[in-house]
Amino acid sequence: MSTVLRTPARTAGPTHTPRPWAAVFALARLEARELRMITSVFGTAILYMVWIGYEVTRQGDFPVLQDVDRDTQIMPMLFGLVVMMNVNRGVLRSRRYGTDRHFDVLVVEPWRRTAAHVLSVVPAVLFTAACVTFQFTWAAVKPGAAGTGSLAELAVGPLTVLLCGAGGVLLARLFPSVFAAPILLVVLLFGMMFVATPAGPAWTSRLSPVVTFSGVSPFPSDMLGRLAGWHALYLVGLVLFMALLAVLLSGGRTTVVKAAVAGSLALTLVGVVGQSQGTPAAALAARERGSVTPEKVRTCVEHGKSSYCAFPEWTSRTDDWAAVADRVQSLAGGRAGTERLTVDQRLDARDGLDSDAYLPPSAEPGHVSVGMDWGGNRVPEFAVAVASVLVAGDEKAASEMCDARVVTIMWMALRGASDPMGSLRDVRLDDSDSGSAFVLSPTESFGMSAAQTRVVAELLKKPRYDVAGKVKAKWTELTAPETSIERVAELLGVPAAGKTTDGADEDGRAGSCEE
Amino acid sequence: MTRALLPPVWRALPRRALAAGAAAGLLLAGIPRMLPGTPDPLLGLFALRAAALAFALGLAFLLDDPARHITSAVPARRPVRVGLRVALVAPGAALCWTAALLLVPREARPPTGALTLEATATAVLALTAAALAVRRPHVTEPGATVSAWLLATAATAYLALPDGWTLLVNPTDPRWSTTHDRWALLLLTAALVGGRASAEPLRARLRVRFF
Repeated sequence: MSTVLRTPARTAGPTHTPRPWAAVFALARLEARELRMITSVFGTAILYMVWIGYEVTRQGDFPVLQDVDRDTQIMPMLFGLVVMMNVNRGVLRSRRYGTDRHFDVLVVEPWRRTAAHVLSVVPAVLFTAACVTFQFTWAAVKPGAAGTGSLAELAVGPLTVLLCGAGGVLLARLFPSVFAAPILLVVLLFGMMFVATPAGPAWTSRLSPVVTFSGVSPFPSDMLGRLAGWHALYLVGLVLFMALLAVLLSGGRTTVVKAAVAGSLALTLVGVVGQSQGTPAAALAARERGSVTPEKVRTCVEHGKSSYCAFPEWTSRTDDWAAVADRVQSLAGGRAGTERLTVDQRLDARDGLDSDAYLPPSAEPGHVSVGMDWGGNRVPEFAVAVASVLVAGDEKAASEMCDARVVTIMWMALRGASDPMGSLRDVRLDDSDSGSAFVLSPTESFGMSAAQTRVVAELLKKPRYDVAGKVKAKWTELTAPETSIERVAELLGVPAAGKTTDGADEDGRAGSCEE
Repeated sequence: MTRALLPPVWRALPRRALAAGAAAGLLLAGIPRMLPGTPDPLLGLFALRAAALAFALGLAFLLDDPARHITSAVPARRPVRVGLRVALVAPGAALCWTAALLLVPREARPPTGALTLEATATAVLALTAAALAVRRPHVTEPGATVSAWLLATAATAYLALPDGWTLLVNPTDPRWSTTHDRWALLLLTAALVGGRASAEPLRARLRVRFF
């Protein structure tokens, strides 16, 4: 009987262990959703995606991946700015609505709320990372892509957004006022512009989250010397420092948090010191070696009878060069049609990333220079260089040439292009197809007189088979320096005088060498 | 009645936000003078643009009125109340902008007329956005949203505007005058929309839901 009456002993206290972080994650999820629903965040995200779509379509078919990774960094700044303002407002929402004191009855401490606000940025960071990955992958899968991207450079975009989020929370804890964030942000951004100028000392110029510079031509990745790893470390340290400082300010004054703040500050300082050391010696040595003795660095690939020497990251491009060179050489006659060419990729990196260094023409017979860029106007420019070496023997002689051989060179270079007249305009400095102008080439430009231009334009309008036979048959006379433009026109079957008078021709020809 | 409304509107102005905007703007405009060496014209341009943005961010809070649900019942119509606020602030804003222009050293100062146009357009844009925001019945303090929008718009204009539509160019740029035609157009549009938006919503239907 007594056994029936015995009641089971109840355990006092909570039936399960307290899980304070579950509330933090729940709040972070809620805040992340709030953030996503704000029109300005949503709109900027759409704008960011549209911008990426625009960028990937505008980008040529021959991207250089160590430049593409840097191109992903600018737009996350804008997205981060918007995230920052709205995270800041999210933290201050309870203050605006006067509900701060309601939180006193909750078990979630203020510092945990702060941590939750920092965590609410994570989806935005993941979105940025996805966008950056898409932008980079789009370029990387193109058949013409060269080079290697840097993970540290790619991480800058998402880290910027995370930094902005942590900064927004910290600003809200430091200055709990709705107007403080935008105004302080303007002061901070423009202060950054004044302090972190590229011309300033090395340590201040790299404090900005995104270190930009206007690179003119791509560099091999070992010559970049951007210290991207140190910069990423600096950003990670700064993110941790801001987030932990915000936690500390909102009451999380435990020894662990204090130690973590000190640790993250140390990490930031290590990053600053690391990224301030200037261009590393290894990169400087690589630049010197690549500019002065490139033959020690380049890899040579044989295509047909010619040799193509490219920097290791560019060897995949030799096929495209070979296609253009073979196309030009197939139109040449005499010995030039079977001559062995050596195509050398060259750069002058000694003056640093943002200098547009001039490449002197090569004096070695049969050597053609090609730059680091490819696609667009670089293709007809290279074709002109190949044709001028086939006609004049070497680049130096070609750059000093001012006679009717220019006609043969230009016809050979441009006839095989898909749009010969368009290519003619592209290689000329003033984008014209009449009158005298300078012709661009990978090394030194040369002049083209009005008469020569007229003959070339007439020739390019004729069918290829009509001219090709005449060029091959009269090759020796066409490539002789003393042959006059009238004789060349006659040999190739172009009316000599045309619309212009002889006097104008004389003037034009005189002008081409004096320019 | 307008005269009777003056003291309470004066007291209800969001002074802290306006003062913070003015202080930040003057601080930014003073930077080129504080830096050593010969003043750089580009730096002067940036400083003045930053100052204009800071002033506009302060002005974005002008229509903040925590007691709006009470004040909307006064017999003075909304255009009068908004107009009074703008009129009370306008001399101060003009004074601040003149001071900012004078703070930049003469050698580094960009063309003042053009920069004033830019600054006015930015400020009017901020006020228009605030006037549009307060058309929604429950919004009492649109300043925070409007300033976030303004800053995001400024950053977008700086970073992502296509070359054909650019608004921010240097005085040496050949597009300087065409850009300022665009600024004038922007000012005109913002002023017209702002004027329309300050009317009572029942009198002027203008359905813009922008946040």
